[in-house]
Amino acid sequence: MATTPELLPYGRIREDLFRPLSGVSRNYVLATVVAFVIGAAGLVAWGHQLRSGMGVTGLRRPVFWGFYLVNFVFWIGISHAGTLISAILRLTDAAWRKPVTRAAEAITVFALMIGAMFPIIHLGRGWLFYWLFPYPNGRLLWPNFRSPLLWDVTAITTYLTGSVIYLYLPLIPDLAQLAEHRTLWRRTLYRTLSLGWTGSDREWHALERAMKLMAGMILAVAVSVHTVVAWDFAMTVAPMWHSTIFGPYFVTGAIFSGIAALIVVLAALRKILHLEFYLTRHHFNNLAKLLLLMSLLWFYFTMAENLTVWYGNDPGEMAVFAARTRARYAPYFWTMVLLNFVVPLVLLGIRRLRTIRTATIASACVLVGMWLERYLIIVPTLANPRLASASSTYTPSWVELAITAATFAAMVMLYMVFSKLFPIIAVWEFKPHPLEEE
Amino acid sequence: MFVTGEFREKEPVVHTIRQLRDAGIDSSALDLFSAEPVELARGVLDRPSRMSLVAVSAAVGTGLLATAFIRYTQHDYKLVTGGMPLFSFWATGVITYELTMLGAIVATFGWFLRESGLIRRREKDAPVPHVDPGVICLRVRCPAGQAPETIDTMRRHGALKIERSGQ
Amino acid sequence: MERRWGMTIDLDRCTGCQACVVACHAENNLPVSGPVEAAKGRAVHWIRVDRYYEGTFPDVKVKYMPVMCQHCDDAPCEPVCPVYATYHNAEGLNVQVYNRCVGTFYCANNCPYTVRYFNWFEPEWPEPLQLQHNPDVAVRPGGVMEKCTFCIQRIKRTKQDAAQEGRPVVDGDVQPACVQSCPAEAMTFGDLNDPNSKVSRLAESGRATRLLEELGTKPKVIYLQRGK
Repeated sequence: MATTPELLPYGRIREDLFRPLSGVSRNYVLATVVAFVIGAAGLVAWGHQLRSGMGVTGLRRPVFWGFYLVNFVFWIGISHAGTLISAILRLTDAAWRKPVTRAAEAITVFALMIGAMFPIIHLGRGWLFYWLFPYPNGRLLWPNFRSPLLWDVTAITTYLTGSVIYLYLPLIPDLAQLAEHRTLWRRTLYRTLSLGWTGSDREWHALERAMKLMAGMILAVAVSVHTVVAWDFAMTVAPMWHSTIFGPYFVTGAIFSGIAALIVVLAALRKILHLEFYLTRHHFNNLAKLLLLMSLLWFYFTMAENLTVWYGNDPGEMAVFAARTRARYAPYFWTMVLLNFVVPLVLLGIRRLRTIRTATIASACVLVGMWLERYLIIVPTLANPRLASASSTYTPSWVELAITAATFAAMVMLYMVFSKLFPIIAVWEFKPHPLEEE
Repeated sequence: MFVTGEFREKEPVVHTIRQLRDAGIDSSALDLFSAEPVELARGVLDRPSRMSLVAVSAAVGTGLLATAFIRYTQHDYKLVTGGMPLFSFWATGVITYELTMLGAIVATFGWFLRESGLIRRREKDAPVPHVDPGVICLRVRCPAGQAPETIDTMRRHGALKIERSGQ
Repeated sequence: MERRWGMTIDLDRCTGCQACVVACHAENNLPVSGPVEAAKGRAVHWIRVDRYYEGTFPDVKVKYMPVMCQHCDDAPCEPVCPVYATYHNAEGLNVQVYNRCVGTFYCANNCPYTVRYFNWFEPEWPEPLQLQHNPDVAVRPGGVMEKCTFCIQRIKRTKQDAAQEGRPVVDGDVQPACVQSCPAEAMTFGDLNDPNSKVSRLAESGRATRLLEELGTKPKVIYLQRGK
């Protein structure tokens, strides 16, 4: 029977967790090339859009927000992976979180970086995005802090800063251990980044105190970030957007999709980096149970929102509701319910069916389902405005599809580079066996 | 003068530290080195920290600063939008909150760098022992006269590889 | 007292001829979208005529409703613009600052009347229409939002002319292109703060209604109709 990782000799742990950092396999190169090509296609598409104008997208009056905003909300939502696992489990001192925290924190940082690109990509005059920042200028210009988009800017800046720090802090001790690497540029990199960490008790105490504080703070920020993103919609008067439930709804959805992303990423890492000893059934079981819990919570919120709209029978809202549940968007809506609720309930609720493989399948379904959910929040409302003469439809163009694909490729690439440079599981969090031979 | 000794277990380290402190050596002269964090009982080698206070003060300060900044700059732009007041605390409350948290986060990180000693210039001749996993290394800074006593205390508690350096 | 520009449109007179639409195009340098883009729903009409059908053939009744920016006093489009590209000026107009717009589309999403239009590409005019541009009106670049301005250039011109000639601006002096061109004389424009202006008197009429009034946007376009 496999022993728990804590009982393996420390030398073995180090070897296992540092091994992925050296050498590139053929699959790695292949994956990098594919991701690069897709990413390049996205950049070409974006360049085309910047030169020719927003008309190259599928957007049209009144659907002024489409795939780009869907992706924005989706990626910011994914970024809540790290926060939940890392922060909440750190605060509650759950032991099983140890091999999972760094992978989760890395997802957060990269998802945020990708998500934060979309407010720039979706702009009609994207090269002027810096006008949203308050900087001293000689033209009497200033941003409007009453706008939820400015709240977005502040929230995402704060969250990104916090997440990078939160990823970096527990990385320092591992970096110090890597400082004797073979390659010169990596030695320099690790030594510089480890800031001369010696492992003294002063440093450990400061680190643990900082981590405790950061865990609480990052949790508070994460909740606010997705609430603010939700308020981009909820602060409008658009039918079915102007809903008080949006704040908590989006946060729940974010944590939901975040855990799903985490499970998918961990399953991939486990397979590719041969971390079967470290990412065990136990971890996936716990994450699967959390995913199931979030699925039920998500269903509760969706139910509450749709029921109140249907019962209230406001004509403006009912037009959108009908479009979502019965008309043009109905196939997406019911697919979303299937993927987000039915599949997790069956695969994860029935104990015998809950395995690492089914957890991964359920998570992949949830990721698709949650992407659809963002789409169903944004597009049907815009396509069915209050003055029905302006109703329309939306079909994305190749530009939007290319950019969407490129973001997934970018995520994969960022993650691959990260796992090559830094150990994806925090080595120092595994206490050595007291009677180890080496 | 610095004396370093390696231990394999936690208990002997605790006893050694207690004895050294009884002999008059201050906590600030003691340093433990390990590849993973070692938890000692309270009172053995406490490092008082002001991190929480720093975080909270920075948070409050940044929050107030941000709100004042927004209030005064918004009033410079007397542009009516949607009948809303020029400055509404609640409308910009989100920004106040986020910047409060940003202040706390950055202050925590900065204070961590300071409190851990990672950015302060270290004493040039203080030896930094290389620690293998599972090993706890104790380093004592003491006047030359006290060195034999220190070495003796360490040896009595089972320390290995006891070394002296400096003078 | 500052002026508060407003408009009344008599729906019982409107024939749906769309002369106002054409006049607006001519006056305000509206971009020509072309058949391909228009088919994609990207045609720009600062004023459009909505048609509401009641009944079935042959007893169909049609209501024609010209809809343009309502210049709401509590405009939902204004607070959401992150760069102050749209705000309420002292004379009650919702102004759009083309140079400042970065194209976040937030204002258009928040407009319940869907009266905001976007420049999806750099505007082009088929020859020789580019010679017909109104020099008083800016030509907007691509990536910028635009909408009805109540012909602010005509308001400015009238005020300047009156100041130069040393006379006050009288009710009826300012006529946006749509008001001027309506053959049924269904539209009036003037100062709602002046109790003697035609607009103010018509606004008091028993037939006065406002579009989507329940949203609290306080629109300044009053629709006169006998029954809703």
